[in-house]
Amino acid sequence: MIIKTILLYLVATLAPLDQFFGTSMIGRAIIVGPLTGLIMGDLHTGIVIGATMELAFIGSVSIGASDPPDMASGTILGTAFAIQAGAGPEVALAAGLPIATIMLGINTLAWGFFPAIIMHRADKYALEGDTKGIGRTMFLAGFAPILATTWIIPAAFYFGNKTIVQLIDVIPKFVITGMDIAAGVIPAIGFAMLINMIMNKKVAVFFFFGFFVVQYFKISTIGVAIFSVMLAIVLTQIIYGKNNKGETQIGASEGHKTSTIEGVDFDEF
Amino acid sequence: MNSNNNTIDKSTLRKTFFRSIPMEHSWNYERMMNLGYCFAMIPALKKIYGGNKDELSKSLTRHLEFYNTTPYVVTLPLCISIAMEENRAKDIDKFDTESINMVKTALMGPIAGIGDSFYWGTLRVLATGIGTSLATQGNILGPILFLLIFNIPNFGIRYWLTFFGYRLGTSVLQKIESSGIMEKITYAASVIGLSVAGAMTAEMVNVNIGGRIGKGDDATTFQDILNGIIPGLLPLGLTFLVIYLLKKKMKPLPLLIIMMFVCIVLAYFKILVLPK
Repeated sequence: MIIKTILLYLVATLAPLDQFFGTSMIGRAIIVGPLTGLIMGDLHTGIVIGATMELAFIGSVSIGASDPPDMASGTILGTAFAIQAGAGPEVALAAGLPIATIMLGINTLAWGFFPAIIMHRADKYALEGDTKGIGRTMFLAGFAPILATTWIIPAAFYFGNKTIVQLIDVIPKFVITGMDIAAGVIPAIGFAMLINMIMNKKVAVFFFFGFFVVQYFKISTIGVAIFSVMLAIVLTQIIYGKNNKGETQIGASEGHKTSTIEGVDFDEF
Repeated sequence: MNSNNNTIDKSTLRKTFFRSIPMEHSWNYERMMNLGYCFAMIPALKKIYGGNKDELSKSLTRHLEFYNTTPYVVTLPLCISIAMEENRAKDIDKFDTESINMVKTALMGPIAGIGDSFYWGTLRVLATGIGTSLATQGNILGPILFLLIFNIPNFGIRYWLTFFGYRLGTSVLQKIESSGIMEKITYAASVIGLSVAGAMTAEMVNVNIGGRIGKGDDATTFQDILNGIIPGLLPLGLTFLVIYLLKKKMKPLPLLIIMMFVCIVLAYFKILVLPK
């Protein structure tokens, strides 16, 4: 039992390391299911349950990577309980769902808090030119929330689902909701810093152009990029079109034309 | 023209590829992939600015700015950045440093648009379909094929884009230099970069106030009223408040902690709510 618990901890920790290994999908149910099966001594059932859970959670993909491990947690615990009880995928889904739900909240807190706070150490290291320090910060920023959360799954396996869910339920709901709201507010800092760096008076208006096009017409960023490429071509023709005698002297007008087109291609890419 | 004194060799680019793998490991709400991006740039930046500690430090700070795109194709903007940094180092005073982040920013939207739909929308669905159809019968090939179908393109394209991005960056920069249209290109990149930054701000910064007027079906939320006047007023106001505070020398870390705290308090009183 203890060895199984420790091995389950390792699988639970491997799942969110998905991002560390190139966002390679190793944290999906179809992978952690068989691994759990192997630990519990029934690989076949692990594969079947993993596939069932994968299909049940097929819509759960988080672009931006802040809350993927909940599906993994549910699968690991569900598979472990189901194999232990000698049952099938239905039992796994039922046993996995409470932990998957509760882990979603826990992950919101841990992944919201730790990486954003720890990441700021890199700013200091950058000023000192300390590249090793930046490397350490990169590792730590991702490992801190993993260390803070993944012990819950083996604990739930060892002490029982109910005990752990009750233990975690003491976190008030508004704290998790608040962190979810913060996820929409905090990027303002990142964008503000980016804008501070790249904005100058000559082109400031285009920030508002991009912002309100999305707000009013709800089109995607790629749509805005396409429109802004056209805008950029027209504007550079108006601004630089007439008075670039210097360029036409360098090469024939045809040569100039091709280089412009290639330059624009590069931006469009 | 300048191809003889290029400082970036194949092994540096290969290091960049390997360092791009944990791109999302340090993903955070504030600047998202910034730390992963900077981490991947380190071997190249050390090579380019090796002897010049001041420039190395400035370039590291430059690449700690906000970044977010599809992780599988991030080597493309990474190696274009490397080509630009290398070009800049040849003539630091003449090169428009702003353009490095401008081009980076201009690229992140389009790359994410194409990358997300291909990797998440197509490849993952394909891998899941084939993988689960075998795995539901208990066949071990299911999970194995699932990983292979997804990851051979993942790492293959990522590797290829490392070299493609660098070649694209250097060749385009050389053409621009020899034709003397640098200023024009910088301007065009600013137009696209800032439009994309604006679009992404609208997409990712979300502030929704709670509360409603009236009862039942006739109720209008305060948020609806605000949206009726000018949509996105709150996120825009917030972004510019942060710009103002940063200009007043407020540090980002205290700002981040205050924001988390305020969000939790306002969530308690339901002054701020999650978008519907």
